[in-house]
Parts: sequence; C-alpha cells; structure tokens
Amino acid sequence: MTIVSGKAEARRRLQSARPDVLRKMWEHRADYAYVLPAIAVMLVVIAYPIYYTIELSFFNTPPGLQLRDKIFVGLNNYTAILTSPVFWQVTLNTLIWTAASTFISFVLGFAAALALHRDFFGRGALRAILIIPWVISAVAASYIWKWIYHSDFGIIGAVLVELGWASRPPNFIDSVSTVLPSLIVVNIWREFPFAMIMMTAGLQTVPEQLLRAAKVDGANAWQRFWHVTFPHLRNVSTVTILLLAVANFNSFIIPWIMTGGGPSNASHIWITHIYELAFGRQRWGVASAYSVLLFIILMTLGYFYVRALSGNERKDGDA
Amino acid sequence: MSTVSETAPRGQSARRMRIDGWRWGGRAFLVFMLLYTALPMIWMLLTSIKSGFAAMQFPPQWWPDQPTLASYQKLLDPQNSVGQDFLRFFWNSLIVSTATTILSVIVAVPAAYAFSRFTFPGRNFLFFAVLLRNMFPAVIFLVPLFILMRAIGLVNTHGSLVLTYLTFGLPLAIWLLKGFYDNIPVQLEQAARIDGATRFQAFVLIVMPLSAPGIIATAIYSFIGAWNEYIYAYTFLSKNEQLTLPVGIQRFFSENSTDFPGLMAASFMMSVPVVVLFLLLQRYFVRALTEGAVKH
Repeated sequence: MTIVSGKAEARRRLQSARPDVLRKMWEHRADYAYVLPAIAVMLVVIAYPIYYTIELSFFNTPPGLQLRDKIFVGLNNYTAILTSPVFWQVTLNTLIWTAASTFISFVLGFAAALALHRDFFGRGALRAILIIPWVISAVAASYIWKWIYHSDFGIIGAVLVELGWASRPPNFIDSVSTVLPSLIVVNIWREFPFAMIMMTAGLQTVPEQLLRAAKVDGANAWQRFWHVTFPHLRNVSTVTILLLAVANFNSFIIPWIMTGGGPSNASHIWITHIYELAFGRQRWGVASAYSVLLFIILMTLGYFYVRALSGNERKDGDA
Repeated sequence: MSTVSETAPRGQSARRMRIDGWRWGGRAFLVFMLLYTALPMIWMLLTSIKSGFAAMQFPPQWWPDQPTLASYQKLLDPQNSVGQDFLRFFWNSLIVSTATTILSVIVAVPAAYAFSRFTFPGRNFLFFAVLLRNMFPAVIFLVPLFILMRAIGLVNTHGSLVLTYLTFGLPLAIWLLKGFYDNIPVQLEQAARIDGATRFQAFVLIVMPLSAPGIIATAIYSFIGAWNEYIYAYTFLSKNEQLTLPVGIQRFFSENSTDFPGLMAASFMMSVPVVVLFLLLQRYFVRALTEGAVKH
C-alpha cells in the first residue's frame, strides 16, 4: 500500500466517521439532558478554574488580587519554585505524609475489616465505633488531638510521665523531629475507617463457596486468604489505595489547624504550602505555578485511577 | 465444618491452634483499634465536662473531680454572645448542608441513570471526567473560584458554598448510583413501558424506589462532606454571622485559645449530628458500596 492511498484511506475513514458521530449524538440528544446538570456544574467549578490557574501561573500578580495589573513573567515562577530549598523540604514531607498515611491506613483498615468479617456479639457496635473518626469533622479531630498532644496538659505526655518513661511531657507537635509522625497518627485515626468500609464491602463479594472448597482441600487460613480472598479484592484494594493516596496528598485541615506547617516548615505539605503562598503571602502567581505542578502529578495518579476503575468496566464488556 | 473434622482427624489440634492463633490475634488487634479510636473521643468528652481550671492541671484529673456542664450551657445559651454565635454557626451549617444534599441528589440521580442506561457518544469520557474531580485538592480551585464567585456576586453568601460542595459530592454520588442502576434489570422498566408508562414514569415509579439505598447513601455522603468542609468556607466567608461551624469554631478559639473544655464541648456538639445520621443509616452506606461501587 502506498502512502498516498494510505492517506486517502484515512481521510475517507475520517469523513465517514465524523457524520456518524454527529448523527449518533443527534440521535442520542435526549440522553445528554440527563447528564447536562452534572456537566454544567463541573464545567463552571472545575474547567474554568483549571484554565485560570494555568494562565495565572505565568504571571506576577500584585497583592490584593487586582488582576488587571498582573505582569507576564514566562516560566520564572516555575524556576523559582524548583530552585527553592523549601520546595524540596515540603516535597519530602508530602511524600512521607502520603506514603505513611496511605499504607498504614490501608493495612489497619483491611485488617479491621477481616477481623470483623466473622460475626460475633457486639460486632455491629464495634464497627460503628471504629467508623466514627471518619465521620466527624477534621477540624474537631485536629482540636481533639491538639489537646491530647498539648505540651503542658496533654494526656499522652502525662501518661508517659506517670509511667516514668519521660521526666517531663514531650513536645510532640512543637518539635521538628516529632511533628510529622504525630500528625500522621492523627491522619491515620481519621482515614483507616474509610479503608475498613471499602474492604468490608469488598469482602462481602468474595464467594463463600470458594472459601469452603479451599478449606475442604486443606488450605489453611493464611492460604485461603492469600489465594482466594485477596485476588478477589485486588480491584477494590487498588481503588481504595488510590483514593486514600489522593486524599492524603490533598489533605490540608489537620496540618493547617494543628501546626500551620510549623515548626520551621517541618509539617508543611504541598497543599498547606500553596495555601500559605496564595492567601498568606499573596503570591498568586507562584501559588498557581505550584498548583499546575500538582495538577500534573495528580493527572498521572488519575490515569491509574481511571485504569483501575475501567478495569472493572471492561470485564462487563461495556466500555 | 463437621466434614472437615471427620475426614481429617490427624493434625486437627495443630490446625485448631493455628486458627485460634489467628482468632486471638484478630481479637487483640480489635481491642487495640478500639482503644486507638475511642480513647481520644473519651478524653474529649471528659475534658468537656471539666471547668477551665480543672482542665489545666498537671498531672491531669483522669476523671473530673467536679463534673460540670458549664461549657455546654455557655455554648447553647442564646442569651450570651458565645451561645448566639455558636447557635448561628450551627444553623448556617445546617442550611448549607441540607441545600447541598438536596441539590446533589437532584443532579446525581439523572446523571447516574444516563451513565448506566444510555450509550451516547462521549459517555465514558464524561463519566471519567466527572470522577476525576475527586483527584484535585480544593486549593487548586480556591483562587480562581474566589475570583469567579466575586465576579458573579456570590462571595460572602452561602450560595457560593453550596455550588462548590455540589462538585465534590457529585463524583462519588454518581459512581455509587451508577453501580446501583447497573444492577437493576432493564426488563423491569421495559415491562412498565409495555404497560403504558413513559420512560420518565418508569424511572420514577420503578427505578427510583429500587435505588433508594443508593440515594440515601449519596445523601449521607453529601451531607457529611458539606457539614465538615472547612477550606472553602474559610476562604469564601468573612462575615461572622455567615460562618459555618468548622470555621466559626476555629475563629472563635483562635481568640480564646486556652478554653479547652469549651473547645471540646463545641467539637463534640459539632460531631453529634453527622455521627447520629451516619450511625442510623450506615447499613445503607455499606450496602450501597457493596452493590454500587465494589461489585460490578
């Protein structure tokens, strides 16, 4: 086949394809009415902001958001970010925060779901109690834990002193070395129930017969879990881990309320840093450039998220 | 179970020991998780019934010597200014969350139905575009949305919050509901339409009742999300009388930073509505996740 005929072929296919799509869209015009409200809200509140953030990231903006006076600076905002030492510290914090919170929340949540899978007296009540931290507001959670970690009157410090493990209450969130782990403990407290709910739902889809058959064949508890239960949960695990990772990557309230990113940036993660740049120091351009970088990272994660979700779809053959 | 023990008498005690090991491990783990989850909340409650002086002691009073409901009385008393503020914040949160919940059900139900039933061009693209909203943090949207809200005159109104909260409730709502509709046989609707119902009637009379658990789960999720939201409310609202609870409490206690009993009482009361709502309806939530999201 020559190049020319290849092109002609492609053009013909394009011409036949386009009216086809349009005709189909016209045939299905009524269907769009159902999704239109959702799409319209999304467009206003998502597409426009994304466009605007990208534009703003190439400008220097005066404080007070007087946007008529913005000055085009090209890629300066980006180079400023990538060469600043704070950026790398905040990035490291974000990685530790996201990885530790996601991994531990998932493991604890999954283990709790497994431990609660067999029925026993009080199971419903126990499950309900374990879910509560996920339901209450992160602001309330931050204050509760701030009080627990309080450097003079905190209960953990008092217990440590009573037990003789410390001579005076430790400064959990006022010290550079302990602040991030302390906040991660709070975050896990709030996040593991989500993993537990998801995995509880997932466990209910594992066919009972398969487990029984494996038991008859002599598989022990661990083998039944590893070879029967776990493969069934691969999809829901992937989705759960991705959702947790994204939520943790995007968390704001706990570090913001408990420490405000301090001491000396030790608990600043990306989001709190962007917020401080934008609304604290009014450096909208730099904050937007940060957001665009964040956007790129999240799009990459989002690609895997969609793949994990559409993996489910494709099995049904309708995607 | 009995067949297993009959066919395998040897090694049975070893197996029982191993199973018992797992079971005891599971129990110990659950006890640990219960302590981890409940102790902070118990400490919140114990602190909230202490006086300000009793809370600031070292070593702490493990159990309050003179329990008092003074903090609660102060917060719920419409006569003094603290109580007025708190009740107003509570009311604002209630309005915003309820409006968000109603609107997101109205918007999500038809969208999810269309994504489940119809195959129009761009369906998958739109579906994943909606889901992708979950990926992005509030901060990315804050500056442009603030400018947008200012342009359409919604800054300092609850409308700005409702509009924004809609978008982060919608993705999960649509996803959950779509899973539900996927599991409702099309034949049911077809039967209704043969009997003379229009597509809309079939939808309202047949599909809606069957997807009630999904709709309830969606509503809970939207309500809790809106009730607890902080960052947009913190940015969009500046007038004291419009603040929602999370921001109102934060602003109040940045001025009175030592009143920990009051802060704990406020945290507790802020949590009560969503916790009660969730506990009442949680079985719908787990069922919706099982049928909607997990099983495909």
